[in-house]
Amino acid sequence: MPHLITLLRHTGLYAGFELRRLWQTRSGLMTLAATLVIWGLLFRYAIVPAADLIASRGFTDFISGLFGHNGISQLRSWPAPELAVYWFFSLWLLPLLSLFFTANQLCPDIERGTARFLTLRSSRSSLVLGRFAGQLVVQGCLILLTLLATLAVASWRAGGMTPAMLSAALVIWLNLLLVVAPFTAIMALFSALVRSAKLAVSLAIISLGLGFALLSWFIFYFPDFLFLFSYVPGAQVIQLLPLHGWQTFKLAALPLWQTALLLGLACLLLRRKAL
Amino acid sequence: MSTLIHCDNLSKRFGSKTALANVSFSLQQGDVAALIGPNGAGKTTLFSILCGYLRADSGSVSLLGHKPGSSALCGLLAALPQDAQFDPAFSIGEQLDFYGRLQGLSHKAAKLETDRVLALVELSAQRKHKAAALSHGMRKRAAIAQAFIGSPRLVLLDEPTAGLDPAHALQIRQLISQLSSQLGSQVSFMISSHNIFELEQLCNKVLYLQQGQLSSPADNKDSDGAEQYLTLLLEQQADQPLLALLQQLPGLISVRPGQKNQLLLSYNSDQQPQFDLELLQCLAAHGYRYRNLIKGQTLEQKLFSAS
Repeated sequence: MPHLITLLRHTGLYAGFELRRLWQTRSGLMTLAATLVIWGLLFRYAIVPAADLIASRGFTDFISGLFGHNGISQLRSWPAPELAVYWFFSLWLLPLLSLFFTANQLCPDIERGTARFLTLRSSRSSLVLGRFAGQLVVQGCLILLTLLATLAVASWRAGGMTPAMLSAALVIWLNLLLVVAPFTAIMALFSALVRSAKLAVSLAIISLGLGFALLSWFIFYFPDFLFLFSYVPGAQVIQLLPLHGWQTFKLAALPLWQTALLLGLACLLLRRKAL
Repeated sequence: MSTLIHCDNLSKRFGSKTALANVSFSLQQGDVAALIGPNGAGKTTLFSILCGYLRADSGSVSLLGHKPGSSALCGLLAALPQDAQFDPAFSIGEQLDFYGRLQGLSHKAAKLETDRVLALVELSAQRKHKAAALSHGMRKRAAIAQAFIGSPRLVLLDEPTAGLDPAHALQIRQLISQLSSQLGSQVSFMISSHNIFELEQLCNKVLYLQQGQLSSPADNKDSDGAEQYLTLLLEQQADQPLLALLQQLPGLISVRPGQKNQLLLSYNSDQQPQFDLELLQCLAAHGYRYRNLIKGQTLEQKLFSAS
């Protein structure tokens, strides 16, 4: 029990230190600026004209093509079109952004030797878990910022904020954290494995791409194993898109156990790694 | 006295190269041990295993009764790892505060502790500086400062004065010496260095590593029973008449030349307890001037006497 308390305390300290990195360091502010640029473009060209976009023929055809007529009606069920468009784009964009933004969880410290100072004072597992938790908190902050901006646009257009909008925003925020969690955990694993953030990103893209290609090839010959696709990180994204509201949480188990498994592997890897 | 480090038949290989081969030793509470050896002898490998950065291939290690890397050692074991750098995004003070927090100090106590350890290495003015803004020597001193946060019972320092200017190297030696005498048996040190002179001043135990093997785990004592040593540094090179005079001194066992103008004398202290006085009187009587007389052998002579 004392070990668990120490692990949690150290994890919390590492997470807090990562949050300070976002707001108080140059690299953190650069991450913030990059996020603002990406979401600024999205705001300008998708979220502000959301009502028109959802009504547009091209968008409805695209959604209907992917998810059938049910998909577009579910998207229209969100309490504000801005939130629906935010939901749609975030689900696609965030996993990819997460790979890039969280690639430096462990490798710079290992390469620089800072991990030697840290592991004299905490376990390697708390370093992995703390950095992961920190990155999740940082992403949570960035998602919250953009979501608040979307809510502001939606309330301005609708002439006020409704409880349904707030509830939907909370659902979106929690769901997006669940979506990025396994991708952040993948980067925890790869950043413990290689020497730089660039290599970690490359390895993640190659592994995910190659894994998907091999799985497709395997399923082509053995179609009975089609269910394996549903275990790929991010597999729930395609199922989440045509859902809305609290019903989205019925898919929460998959990213949670994927995250736990990947973090377990990252802890195991770092515990065996020479520093 | 309790055993702080116990290594038993420790071995480590990197591919075909043997870094450590069946290294066994123990370090007692209050010891200040020197780890000496040429480049590639396995000093840093041994340090890395003790700190838990590397795993040994075989053999066993225990520090304060725990395995290296154990959470139970957090705060009890401190180290200056070779070539470890601070995070460039944060100031030195912020990082030392954070290390203090990881060691269980409160926010306020961690700040006070940072102030204390930075003052120990004369870096108080650099608290808000980032590592990139510091010179190599300052970064090294900041890294030494992190090793003194809290109340460690065992401090491992890998080349603590390498890269420091003479004044700060002296300051670090004085700091280690002061802490080891102030805290007595509460803290033990293990120091690796190429600077034998430095280790001789600080350490009471010597571990000599050569090609991964511990060849002479010895106490840094200056006597071997009744046989005692004196190291004499003359102002001029010793000539044959002087050597002949010294041979006649009662109690002398042997006299052999050391480095430039240096002579190493061994004598029987039971037979002639005042041998040093006799030696000085002999030199004065015959007009030989000397620069210094050291009781005992230098560590260098002990380790490399064969050469």
